[in-house]
Amino acid sequence: MNALQQDIAQLIIDTLNLEDVTVDDIPPDLPLFGEGLGLDSVDALELALALQKHYDIRIASDSKDARQHFTTVATLAAFVQAQKDACAS
Amino acid sequence: MSEQLVQERHWSAHKERGSFILMWLTALSVRMFGRRLLAPVLYLIVLYFFASARSARRNIRQYQIYLAQWSGNASLRPTLKSVFGQFIAFADNLLDRLDVWRGRLRFEQVQLIDPSGVRSRLLRSQHGGRGEMLVVTHLGNPDVCRAMAELSEQVPLNVLVHNHHVAQFNRLLGEAGDRSMRLIQVSELDTAMMMDLSQRLERGEWLAIAGDRVPLNDGRRVVVDFLGHAAPFPQGPWLMAGLLRCPVNLLCCLKVDGRYRIYLDAFLDNAQWQRGQRDEAIRGWVQRYADHLAGQCMIAPQQWFNFYAYWQPPERPTHKEAADAN
Repeated sequence: MNALQQDIAQLIIDTLNLEDVTVDDIPPDLPLFGEGLGLDSVDALELALALQKHYDIRIASDSKDARQHFTTVATLAAFVQAQKDACAS
Repeated sequence: MSEQLVQERHWSAHKERGSFILMWLTALSVRMFGRRLLAPVLYLIVLYFFASARSARRNIRQYQIYLAQWSGNASLRPTLKSVFGQFIAFADNLLDRLDVWRGRLRFEQVQLIDPSGVRSRLLRSQHGGRGEMLVVTHLGNPDVCRAMAELSEQVPLNVLVHNHHVAQFNRLLGEAGDRSMRLIQVSELDTAMMMDLSQRLERGEWLAIAGDRVPLNDGRRVVVDFLGHAAPFPQGPWLMAGLLRCPVNLLCCLKVDGRYRIYLDAFLDNAQWQRGQRDEAIRGWVQRYADHLAGQCMIAPQQWFNFYAYWQPPERPTHKEAADAN
């Protein structure tokens, strides 16, 4: 798990008050919704707000892409990195 | 069967019609007429509404029965006169709304009942304080937000609505020289909208949203007890408050003895739920809100202006159950 992935896993835990869950419990390829971590659409919204604030990025609303970015910590990290690079350039 | 269809017609269908009439009248009255000339026309419209809308009559009757039962006050039981009285109260309310929109109802004319000091927090938002939410109701005169804009002085107030005529309303507001109030259309909670609202709160702006009407295409509703019977309420305002982590206050404006009173009540210091207990938390808030609303119904029993079927129909199978039975 790279630093950004760890960072995001921690953000998920803090934002959603996931008690008894540590960063190690959220491997990068664990599905965040449904079977995996069991998040729902309101959690996703809460998480998106936190990500936007934390990384100062913009997340387009409810497009199919946005949903795909929220599949796992790995996809989220890739998305955040891409957004940050886009903003930096 | 057609009776049921009429009953099931959603409030937004009624509201749409009402809004158009109201906007049309507003525009017309600003240019030509005063209240005195408009009043008879409006009474005629409401009389026609009373005579023709059987379901609306029945729904008001149901409200009055529930209110009488719930309060144990037999004098509130419906009669033809009391049901008609509620329609007339609606006509008066529309006329008052015209005054509000034209800026005729000044803040000095309104009595403010604010035991928990919500207004002082509102004014503090000018000086770097974070904004908060106001949950408003369709009891009394919800358009008093216009007067609230004056109450809030320089604090911008964003009114969140499900209405499609936002652009027109905003234009009307602009023409009326109102810069501190803005209508925002929310059809769905999405990240862009929530981010925008979150930034508004950070800038010290306030948000107002109705807490007593379930939007058409939104499955997020919660059924709680209201006046002794199960009624659906929207989850949206409370989800929003939780996501934005902001305090929630209740705003209601009632006409008592011919004078408007604005009731401001602090409701939630900070809308937050424990992990996995979101639904329970929201249900608790909504039940408390419904109880508060019931108390306010007792202050102005005739000013309940939800003319559609507000409560869940008792013991009618849902579509799914009906399908299963077949």
